Amino acid sequence: MKSTQYSEKTLEHFRNPRNVGTLEGPNVAVGRVGNPVCGDMMDIYIDVEDDRIKDIKFQTFGCGSAVATSSMITELVVGMQLDEALKVSRGDVADALDGLPPIKMHCSNLAADALHEAIKNWRAGVRPEDATTTPVEKSCHPRPAEVAVVEIANLDDYKGSGAYTRVDDLSALADQRVVVLDTGDRAAQLAIDLTDHTSRVVLMTTGKEPSVSSAVRSALRLSDVKLLTEAQPLELKGEGELERIRVHDLNEDEEYELTADALVVLE
Amino acid sequence: MPDVVYADYQSSKPVDPRVVEAMLPYFAGTFGNAASLHAVGDEATAALERARAVVAGFFGAQPQEIIFTSGATEANNLAIIGYAMRNRRKGDHVIITEAEHISVLNIAKYLEKNGFRVTRAPIDLHGRVSAKKLRARITDETILVSVGWASNEIGTVQPIAEIAEMLGGTGVALHTDAVAAEGLVPIDMSLVPVSLMSLSANDIYGPRGLGALYVRKGVQVAPVLLGGGQEHGLRSGTEDLASIAGMAAAAEIMTAEMPAEVARIAGIRDRLVARVLAEIPDSHLNGAPLEPSDGRLPSNAHFRFDGVEGEAMILSLRDQGVAAATGSACSSKTLEPSHTLISCGLLHEEAHGSLEFTFGRFSKDDDVDRIMAVLPGVITRLRVLSPLYKAKAHA
Repeated sequence: MKSTQYSEKTLEHFRNPRNVGTLEGPNVAVGRVGNPVCGDMMDIYIDVEDDRIKDIKFQTFGCGSAVATSSMITELVVGMQLDEALKVSRGDVADALDGLPPIKMHCSNLAADALHEAIKNWRAGVRPEDATTTPVEKSCHPRPAEVAVVEIANLDDYKGSGAYTRVDDLSALADQRVVVLDTGDRAAQLAIDLTDHTSRVVLMTTGKEPSVSSAVRSALRLSDVKLLTEAQPLELKGEGELERIRVHDLNEDEEYELTADALVVLE
Repeated sequence: MPDVVYADYQSSKPVDPRVVEAMLPYFAGTFGNAASLHAVGDEATAALERARAVVAGFFGAQPQEIIFTSGATEANNLAIIGYAMRNRRKGDHVIITEAEHISVLNIAKYLEKNGFRVTRAPIDLHGRVSAKKLRARITDETILVSVGWASNEIGTVQPIAEIAEMLGGTGVALHTDAVAAEGLVPIDMSLVPVSLMSLSANDIYGPRGLGALYVRKGVQVAPVLLGGGQEHGLRSGTEDLASIAGMAAAAEIMTAEMPAEVARIAGIRDRLVARVLAEIPDSHLNGAPLEPSDGRLPSNAHFRFDGVEGEAMILSLRDQGVAAATGSACSSKTLEPSHTLISCGLLHEEAHGSLEFTFGRFSKDDDVDRIMAVLPGVITRLRVLSPLYKAKAHA
């Protein structure tokens, strides 16, 4: 079945999603789930009163079914007792949408998981600003990040052929995919400066936020530097010169390879 | 066709009505089997060879170097598997790139299961493979390098002439899948020493279900389809004369119209790129820049939008009468994002946010206006839904 062969009800929820947004207040909790492999991420906010879901809102990055399942579950559980809401399963959501294409049943049907997470967080007293698992920068109150001390096993093998500890001539990296390791303001500033020479500059940090001053953080946000958080470089790969970096995704505890021509680890 | 803006020429092209016209006599009129010895068969033979000469001429080839197949997928199978099997005693190593079409990627996997070694050469930021990177991977066992002339996805044109020159004298054959490039960039086998080249009729506005493999004189290939020994024994099966006549008609039209057509298509594409990047915040062009113009197919505009997922964009655009494509995992059978975008260095979340428009012969000048009447609204709506999107202006 083609991914676009959704039921009319699924399409209707995609076109007119209910309860989009966020919630605030003393009785609000959030559930955040994400699956970076298929690219779906959801936040479900619940406002709880007398152990019931008084109000519910969602935000979703994802495909048609990701949006529709989020919207559907908010309709299904609003007003429900928390215990009852915990029993609402992925299957219930899919059924309420008159079914989902089989390929979408797993990846894009995370709304029930996000709801359960929200209820768990509520019961554990986890406030929205402390809720974790979102694999990208999200928090409005960044925790102080520690300056990354990163050991890359074979960094020396690529010294001068992709791995650099200093960059004197920025134009030497023109049109290259440059990854700058977050080692503080100087590294972040270098990353920003490099965007004049190449369209692809990634600032990689092991923290949830780069370990930079607030002025540099603002400059970063306005720049074309791509921020890659909670990522730790493990190993460099390539035929004679750097071609890929093996990266540990600290949030998902998974490894993947990032294509890159240059890695800058300032001394 | 319903009144949609069709901007997915890379997936399929309408058959030119003039081509349909040229095909019609070959269904009930000239219906013979070219293998038959009677006059009806001779008429078919004459038509077949006329068509072969026209197709060959369009690509700067000799007629006997063109083998008609059921499509470019079959041509890729014949080229890569046929060449590898026939030349196995010379070596067991094949090199492809990370930007190849899935039909080449899966053939490479098949070869690996059958005892060959396959190396995938990396591409740069713009999706381009360099002759240098390829050369670094050639060993004494290498028999074949396969590089698509252009990426079907991001439209990056590969330096085929440079690669062919680099391979000159090494004894390593060069195969190119030229499907994405044909009709959009000049392809002349008398100038570029490619050994094998896969072609599709539909990509020059001919019928679907027909392709061809160019096999340079002297290059040895084993057949993958066995039978009556048609097409110099390389592709058994009675020739599909109507479709072949259609491909020839398409080549003739393309010969006459390509320069003006390419300029017009590039103009539409350039206007879309300029407007998207100017009018939609946090939008990016994937692949090669528009200049120099020979680095990118003139038909291709491939974007990504921060914080928005591709399938959701396609669904929304479909509701608003625009047909486009995406490299997002959610639209693929494997739920993996585009391997080409990942190899260009994009993160998964970025590859998921890609949107591809490809234009062609029947694209209208106001297609850009119609796309831009709806696209910014689609992106805004999905960004409101998205927990990932924080506009730079708000930061």
